[in-house]
Amino acid sequence: MSNEKYYVPHGTYWPIIGSIGISTLFIGFANQMHDVSWGWPVMVLGFAITAFMMFGWLGTVVAESVGGMYNSQVDKSFRWGMSWFIFSEVMFFAAFFGALLYARVLSVPWLGGADNNVFTPELWEGFKATWPLLSTPGEVGQNGVAFSTNFKLVETWGLPAINTALLLTSGVTLTYAHHALRAGQRNALMAWMIATIALGVVFLGFQITEYGHAYHDGLKLTSGIYGSTFYLLTGFHGFHVTIGVIMLTVILYRIQKGHFNLENHFAFEGVAWYWHFVDVVWLGLFIFVYWI
Amino acid sequence: MSLFVIAILALIFVFLGSAVIGLLRGGKAGSDRMFKALRMRIILSVLLFAFLLLAGLLGWIEPNGFNLLPTQ
Repeated sequence: MSNEKYYVPHGTYWPIIGSIGISTLFIGFANQMHDVSWGWPVMVLGFAITAFMMFGWLGTVVAESVGGMYNSQVDKSFRWGMSWFIFSEVMFFAAFFGALLYARVLSVPWLGGADNNVFTPELWEGFKATWPLLSTPGEVGQNGVAFSTNFKLVETWGLPAINTALLLTSGVTLTYAHHALRAGQRNALMAWMIATIALGVVFLGFQITEYGHAYHDGLKLTSGIYGSTFYLLTGFHGFHVTIGVIMLTVILYRIQKGHFNLENHFAFEGVAWYWHFVDVVWLGLFIFVYWI
Repeated sequence: MSLFVIAILALIFVFLGSAVIGLLRGGKAGSDRMFKALRMRIILSVLLFAFLLLAGLLGWIEPNGFNLLPTQ
């Protein structure tokens, strides 16, 4: 903290590499969605460029931080940046949870004739306002095509409960890691971090298994509003767990390199909060999808 | 019972929010606040999950029955 004046970053080529990488990624993705033959390789190329940019840019930031180039102004900027990122994450999941609750509590009953009965059942003959709704009105319910009515119960205390226990345990191990960091217990810190990462990886393995079962049993992204919201919520959550595992691994590497001390460990705190948040989102999913 | 579960979940979010404030403030006081808030959130989360287990076993609360898969 030798210089408390406002920090002006030096010139860097990483932003333009990031722009090229992300543009290539989405051009490839869009064309892959349209079954264009070169879509897939271009998408992979774009992902590789983006990963290279993140590794290089964030590596530069870490090197500058460890090199003592940052002052309290930069520390404040990082904290505000992380806080706004957290806000955007909360809003992101709030939108999907909102979509799930809106569909379940309002729009599906309306389609069944509830409340002011504007959307009468006569719109789609044979439609019954049930949840989960696994067929989209308009696509079925016409010309004698029946709505989905045959279901089987998923074991509530099966994989979803095991996954909840796994993530909650990872929250406990991370809290012990946090305590060890604040107490200066380096070996304990690394052991708890490895346990947290391992639990995250096992969670992802079980989640992939559950997706396999669900898809095999006919629950797809196209299975009505329930299938859409189920896969969007759990899919984006799984994506966040994947990002979290990568971030925890980077933090473990930085711990091993001795980048943190008792007073200065903002990167650890930021990643720890993110993991706790991902944990709570899953708890919310477990409660709203299976219990309430 | 559902309201109780939602209330505890809301309380967990309050502690997450408190941790963000600690993160934003930084320094010793901010770091302490963050750690204590995150510790409270995991304690509450584990207790909530244990409560759901117990309540489910004792029949105080039943799964909503929405965890269904199509069989066609």
